[in-house]
Amino acid sequence: MSQKKPPSLNYDLKATKKLFNEYLEKGRDKTEIKLPPDTVKIDDLDRNKTLARLYKLVDDVIEKIYNTGRPSIKLPSRATSNIKWDEENDLLLLGNQLQEKQFHTLTSVTDVTRLMRVLEIVDELLVKDIHATKREIFYSDVNLFVEQKNSDKSIEDVATMLYATRNSTHIVAAPKGTCVGRLRIRDKNDIIDLEGLGSGGWTISPMLDNIEIIESDAEFILVIEKDAALMRLAEARFWRKYPCILITAQGVGNVAVRMFLKRLSRELNLPIFSLVDSDPYGHYIHSVYLRGSKRLSYESPFLATPNIKLLGVLTKDLDAYKIPNEVRIPMNKQDKKRVKDMLNEDFVKKNKKWEEDLKLALKLEIKAEIQAFSAHGFEFLTEKYLPEKLTTGDWI
Amino acid sequence: MRIFRKKNGGIVQLIDKEKMQEWPVELPLIFIEYIRNKKLESYEDIKVKKGVENYLDEIMEDIAIPRLINVLEGSDVEEIILALTRLEQLSRKKIEMIRPIKSYLNNLLKLKTTKIVTLAQTISDNFAKADRKKELAKKRKIMQEKEKQFLAGKIGGEEYAKARKEYLTLKE
Repeated sequence: MSQKKPPSLNYDLKATKKLFNEYLEKGRDKTEIKLPPDTVKIDDLDRNKTLARLYKLVDDVIEKIYNTGRPSIKLPSRATSNIKWDEENDLLLLGNQLQEKQFHTLTSVTDVTRLMRVLEIVDELLVKDIHATKREIFYSDVNLFVEQKNSDKSIEDVATMLYATRNSTHIVAAPKGTCVGRLRIRDKNDIIDLEGLGSGGWTISPMLDNIEIIESDAEFILVIEKDAALMRLAEARFWRKYPCILITAQGVGNVAVRMFLKRLSRELNLPIFSLVDSDPYGHYIHSVYLRGSKRLSYESPFLATPNIKLLGVLTKDLDAYKIPNEVRIPMNKQDKKRVKDMLNEDFVKKNKKWEEDLKLALKLEIKAEIQAFSAHGFEFLTEKYLPEKLTTGDWI
Repeated sequence: MRIFRKKNGGIVQLIDKEKMQEWPVELPLIFIEYIRNKKLESYEDIKVKKGVENYLDEIMEDIAIPRLINVLEGSDVEEIILALTRLEQLSRKKIEMIRPIKSYLNNLLKLKTTKIVTLAQTISDNFAKADRKKELAKKRKIMQEKEKQFLAGKIGGEEYAKARKEYLTLKE
């Protein structure tokens, strides 16, 4: 099959510019999100404030030991039943149900010991003003944690116990995402130009407390599910023709990527779009950026970007852009179940366009990857599909 | 962020100067230099360029220089050395940027820390060199003007010789 270059048309990104002007006119929403009364408020704290909370928590435990001899710790429950969708703010949040961990019961003693060990590590990290990854925490006491999922759980428990984001504890995710385009940042004493780092771009630092946005002349942000698609856009220097910032997290965005995107959204106030595979997993990835994940619902206000739009690839795009049958993939059982699960989510039911597209996917029982556009030539994505969608405003 | 809007609908956003109060002392100067040298031309829009230039001057006046002066007048030797090292680098590249701190150098030259004195002296010397260069350019211009007038027969040889002598004396 010959690879034809699509005719080079001039797209003015009219719809994107309109959205961008609306955001500019509306100005930044500086007011804090008002959370519903039955949800937990989590803070993003600096080192000293986190340390103060940690010492207060330990003091309370010591006091309980003196007074009752039977200490315990109360923390917000992270069970699914305690996760709420806040319709007004469009976020998944943690409810105010509490769970109590007793120091003296056989069922919780291992759990409490792990929690105390993580607290000890957090104290060390904060005092020394250094950061550690979740993997490093696990390896700091393998005999105690046994498996990384146990240390990960304790890390999340400690963050909720302190009513603080995980980043406040200086425990960070491993670097995973990449960012490239019209953005300049400061990392401590260095100024980094994200246009000048080649196709590879900048690896999003999980130590976001060291990062500051200092300059940008972008007009929108595009979050891409896959490295391969980012590579296509980076090679075409897409941001030169269409002033933008590109981000990929190679799948579901980890805490660092989502927090960085949230920061970009809050500070630059630009329209944000996601480009994911046309399959239920791609839609799920978009939903995590949009409303947060259930597992990290306690941090949603710091991680979710409620104004992100799903640009594509939509199921209806497959016919609209004449994607050949050879590159369409039939859905398997798991895919169909995932689509049905998504259709049951309140936030999907509230979004008619989204619901329609998922229903269409279920009806046609097909999915496709972003790379399917290569059937029309490698430049089709950068020279036709994306500019056309950004010009016509065909997004969810 | 400080927003500058382009005629074609585009924008440029720069960090609020207030946030720079928390930065390491030499960083606002590096930021100003970076935007001036690396970004300003790429903005294309004349109005935006002018607006950004003015904003950079504002940062210089309100943040960069006062913070440097604060350090130079303080008693933290390490901070003073750090600031002077950066100033010394800037004095070689763009001395006019740091002219407001010139008057603070005399006091630093009286201190006992050798490193501070050496750095302050180098910056002072660079100021002297820059001032001399400026003066020389001024004298050259006068001399060239007098030369033209002399050749046109508008002034006498004595007047031209005087201007030429002043220029050559300074040059030597």
